[in-house]
Amino acid sequence: MKTLTGFLTRFGRAMGGIVGTLYQAGRDAVDTVWKNVLPFLAFVAVIVGIMTGTGLGSWIATALEPLAGNVIGLLVLSLIIGLPVLSPLLGPGAVIAQIIGTLLGTLFASKTLPLSAALPALWAINPQVGCDFIPVGLALGEAEPETVEVGVPAVLFSRFITGPVAVLIGWVAALGM
Amino acid sequence: MSFLVQLATGFIGIFKAGADWWWAVFVGIVPLVIVLMTAFNAIIHWIGQERVEAFSKFASRPGWLYLPFRYLLLPIVAVFVLTNPMAYTMGKFLPEKYKPAFYDAAVSFVHPPLGILPHVNPGELFVWLGIASGVSTAYGATAVADLAVRYFLTGMVVILIRGIVTERITAAMWKKPVVETPAAKTPAAKMAA
Repeated sequence: MKTLTGFLTRFGRAMGGIVGTLYQAGRDAVDTVWKNVLPFLAFVAVIVGIMTGTGLGSWIATALEPLAGNVIGLLVLSLIIGLPVLSPLLGPGAVIAQIIGTLLGTLFASKTLPLSAALPALWAINPQVGCDFIPVGLALGEAEPETVEVGVPAVLFSRFITGPVAVLIGWVAALGM
Repeated sequence: MSFLVQLATGFIGIFKAGADWWWAVFVGIVPLVIVLMTAFNAIIHWIGQERVEAFSKFASRPGWLYLPFRYLLLPIVAVFVLTNPMAYTMGKFLPEKYKPAFYDAAVSFVHPPLGILPHVNPGELFVWLGIASGVSTAYGATAVADLAVRYFLTGMVVILIRGIVTERITAAMWKKPVVETPAAKTPAAKMAA
């Protein structure tokens, strides 16, 4: 009887732990969605509304179309976004990447752009990822000030090279889609 | 009068278009994101902080043999477990010279998994979802899944390349701050200063 109650207690505790963790995980998930995802969704919804409602979006999308439709154009796009002077400006919140992505999405939705352009396009809109955040990111990694001094330009220059490289990798990897 | 009515309809139409889009995403994506995030939050809790730190100490060793650990496995584990932006704290176990390259690799991996693991960076979901939702409309869910997997896999290749390239550039620039003559300052050193 004693072993049985002991087992039941341990079993109950373990179950309680699992349920507690999952409940907390759910609370965190809903919290993040509520605080970070939905506000951004609302913001993008207003932009999308203005873009589609006024026709401005299709105008910008048409302008982007020659760039996004082929690998050369996507390389050019990634070079522009990856410019060491521009990339820290385009980085914050990934807002620019998200808006360009959403605009390009409308071109994919209308089949103006082929499916095979989607993967290189994902890479072309994002060579600036984290370029605004380098000093903070390095500080989070407990880097010395001297490391930050070298690290900021090192990452920016590296992106100018690896941004287009990523587009090429995406283009090759999208073959056969 | 009819002109005013037209104006009003056009004005409301703009926001109606936005609202339609918002509703489609809210119903189509958000429940999936919440359920996935709940599962991964729990898994991360069970893996535990200590095990992740032990792994990152192991992966932080210098030498070219550890390149795939430093710039592939470590960033992936860091992003998966700690998510954006806490993933970058894993750089603390690395030698100073490798920290910029690790940051570059880690921060480049906060978007490629979004199609499969949206919990790593839910605030920037639309870097992936903008294009993915368009692909979904035109080419269907299978194409989106295909795209998600390919984005994830190319992400692994790209972060390894970024880590190596940035490590090389950092190494090349590392000597310069030691030389304290003003003439030796490159534009890069000035930018950093």
